[in-house]
Amino acid sequence: MKTFKGGFHVPDHKDLTASAAIEQMPLVTDYYVSLSQHIGKPAQPVVNVGDQVVEGQLIAQASSAISANVHSPVCGDVVEVVKRKNAQGVLVDTIHIRSNGRQDRQTLPALTDPTPQQIVERVAEAGIVGMGGAGFPTAVKLQPKDPVDSLVINAAECEPYLNCDNRLLLERTEQFLQGVRLLAKAIGVSNVYIGIEENKQQAYEKLLQQPHVIADTKEALASKQQDDIVVVQLKAKYPQGAEKTLIKACLNREVPVGGLPAAVGCIVDNVGTAYAVYDAVVNGVPLYKRLMTVSGGGINDPKNLEVAVGTPISAIVELCGGLKEDTVKLVSGGPMMGFSLMNTDVATTKTDSGFLALTDKEASSVLPTPCINCGRCASVCPMRLMPMYIDFYTTVGDTENAVKYGALNCFECGTCAYVCPAKRPIVQSVRLTKIKAKEKK
Amino acid sequence: MSYVYSSSPHIKSPRTTRSIMIDVCIALLPACLAGVILMFTANAAFPMLGALSLMHLVICCVTSVAAEWVFLLCCKKPFKQILAEFDFSSLVTGLLIGMNLYPTSKWYVGILASIFAVVVVKMLFGGTGKNLVNPAIAGRVFAFIAFGAAFGGAMSYVNPNTNSPMVFTSPISGGKVEGFDASGAVTGATPLQVLMGSAGTGATNTLSNLDLFLGTGVAGCIGETCKLALIVGGIYLVVRGVLNFRWPLVYIATTGVVSVLIAWISGCYNSEGVFIPELMGTKFAQAWEVFLPSILSGGLILGAIFMATDYVTTPNTKVGNYVYFVFLGILTAVLRKAVKGEAVSFAILLGNLVVPLIDMYIRRKPFGYVKPQKQRKAKPADEAVVAKEGD
Ligand code: SF4
Ligand code: SF4
Repeated sequence: MKTFKGGFHVPDHKDLTASAAIEQMPLVTDYYVSLSQHIGKPAQPVVNVGDQVVEGQLIAQASSAISANVHSPVCGDVVEVVKRKNAQGVLVDTIHIRSNGRQDRQTLPALTDPTPQQIVERVAEAGIVGMGGAGFPTAVKLQPKDPVDSLVINAAECEPYLNCDNRLLLERTEQFLQGVRLLAKAIGVSNVYIGIEENKQQAYEKLLQQPHVIADTKEALASKQQDDIVVVQLKAKYPQGAEKTLIKACLNREVPVGGLPAAVGCIVDNVGTAYAVYDAVVNGVPLYKRLMTVSGGGINDPKNLEVAVGTPISAIVELCGGLKEDTVKLVSGGPMMGFSLMNTDVATTKTDSGFLALTDKEASSVLPTPCINCGRCASVCPMRLMPMYIDFYTTVGDTENAVKYGALNCFECGTCAYVCPAKRPIVQSVRLTKIKAKEKK
Repeated sequence: MSYVYSSSPHIKSPRTTRSIMIDVCIALLPACLAGVILMFTANAAFPMLGALSLMHLVICCVTSVAAEWVFLLCCKKPFKQILAEFDFSSLVTGLLIGMNLYPTSKWYVGILASIFAVVVVKMLFGGTGKNLVNPAIAGRVFAFIAFGAAFGGAMSYVNPNTNSPMVFTSPISGGKVEGFDASGAVTGATPLQVLMGSAGTGATNTLSNLDLFLGTGVAGCIGETCKLALIVGGIYLVVRGVLNFRWPLVYIATTGVVSVLIAWISGCYNSEGVFIPELMGTKFAQAWEVFLPSILSGGLILGAIFMATDYVTTPNTKVGNYVYFVFLGILTAVLRKAVKGEAVSFAILLGNLVVPLIDMYIRRKPFGYVKPQKQRKAKPADEAVVAKEGD
């Protein structure tokens, strides 16, 4: 089975929601739609306070080359445009929309047999961004500067607890594959790979049953046809789903330090993104809904939900039966790379793949002790860095040396901090160094 | 209700420094037990040896832990916090020092060696994780140099000129070894000395490899004689994911091979010191007889599994570790030939001191590493040697 060097098998806790079918999140009264749900400039509002908007209406426009449109998730009135804290704890401009209970919906015209250019335009129009967590505007990604020969779809879902991609693959297989083909067409490549971890056997089999989808075996590859999609089964190992490790596993190419996947001729997109592309092109529905896993030992009733962007977490928690007494930590996203939340007074965004409530037993709160130089962090680092030195030099305030040991190449996957017996806050050190290095420049 | 707010990752592995140290303690127990039992049965005339061994182990453990606590108390740390942060590493040090003593060592040797190891070697350098050399090794070497005769054991010394049989004088302090008589199996020459021809004519090697492996009838430190028990402990550590089996193997194998080479080359000299090339063929086959005894003798296995592999004092890269353990292996074999005693401890001590150097020059090649374009003048310091990490 294919994989990359390093990494660690983190217990996945996926069984909590692995077989929970996708449910629709019912309408709530208030929605808080952030204007910075993506990397790049915040979107520019195109509605005013007091305006009536309908579901799917454009409410904020991409403000520069790297930015994304934002659409209203609901039919209602714009109450105000305020600064609100997002999951990362940063104050961002947010449009507060109060639903009026109606179900009117505005969609874009559906496209039949679109040209690559049309697809890219539609992706931009629909405000689609990378839904794996980073939120890079997909339309920009689809027009790489380097020549590209392969599209890799990230279905690894290596973050523990999360199941939304898994459920999407199982329940909306055909739509997903259609989205993948649209993406491939937009970039103009015929090598399409779907990387999926071995712990999603059911989804893997389901994919293989579809026409023009083949397994990653020698025999199957020998008779590969032009529009066949190759499904690559990967070892269940964190962080298998990171762009660079995924490309390494599927194509055995190493993205150079500081480079983008396009530098080795690849484009990586997430399962959710592929589905959003399908929805935008075939149904004309812009991106204002996404799948989310609500899980963790502290949630009474773990679920996989289809949630409108801007829904307050508190409403989601309520739907899932509330929090248990022994919850000690709230996390937006996955447990390895997600953000810790102060409270549930935060709204969802396009990039939220999950919400977790962790109990004391799950969220280790052992305090850091001195590094014992055991080398575990280095042996698991997928970027082959030496995290112990980054942590050490950051702790003593030596940014220059921390950078020398590769702090800037770290993508904060957290594997090192997970395995560290001394519980060194390595990722925190990396972030600190990155900030300091930026200040210096 | 307020929730914990922190940087990712939000879940951590259950492994802690403390759990690792407890595992090491557990892994050391079989060897301790075997050592004590062997000493009880070693010499029917002196069952006391077993009791003495046990005493040494207990004294060293208690002193080591107490030394750490007292040191921290002197640093004005509240006792509650000391207990909460206690990571068992000083217990490991204590156990190891106890295992490195001879049953005939004086009672105060263990106490002083433990205090030296914990306070001077570890705490003064900043505590767990900051020590330059392995505290237990430093403790043993300290006892050897400082106490000589009172340390016991490997003090037999041969006067190369007169070739007189077994003079029980310490090579360093010159003191006389008291205690058990010269014919006593236990305090006599260790098999290694017999092997290396340093025990004089009085003792001949009558031990089989199996004896060496089980420790039956073998003289030596409390914890180093029963290789079986040590290996069982090592396997436990490997299974628990604490130890990488590769490193002790590299060390031990290197020592064995280099010992064979040394025996081979030195075997080719005749009594007048003339090198006879014709002997090379026959001596080569003969030299391999040294292989097993050389790896099964002395403190090699104890050192290789438990002391050379101490996390703190080993390099951080795979390549660095290969360099380090091969270096240790060569050093041990050469020291055994040259100094005839304490080879393993001195080799590890020396190796430990080289580790920072290894780490400085051998770095990993990061993922997607691109060779820097030749910009000699710009920043030569940045182009430190980047070794190819085993892909
Ligand atoms: S895993 Fe932790 S204790 Fe081990 S070397 Fe890395 S930082 Fe140090
Ligand atoms: S150093 Fe960075 S890339 Fe490496 S394991 Fe740690 S978080 Fe991941």
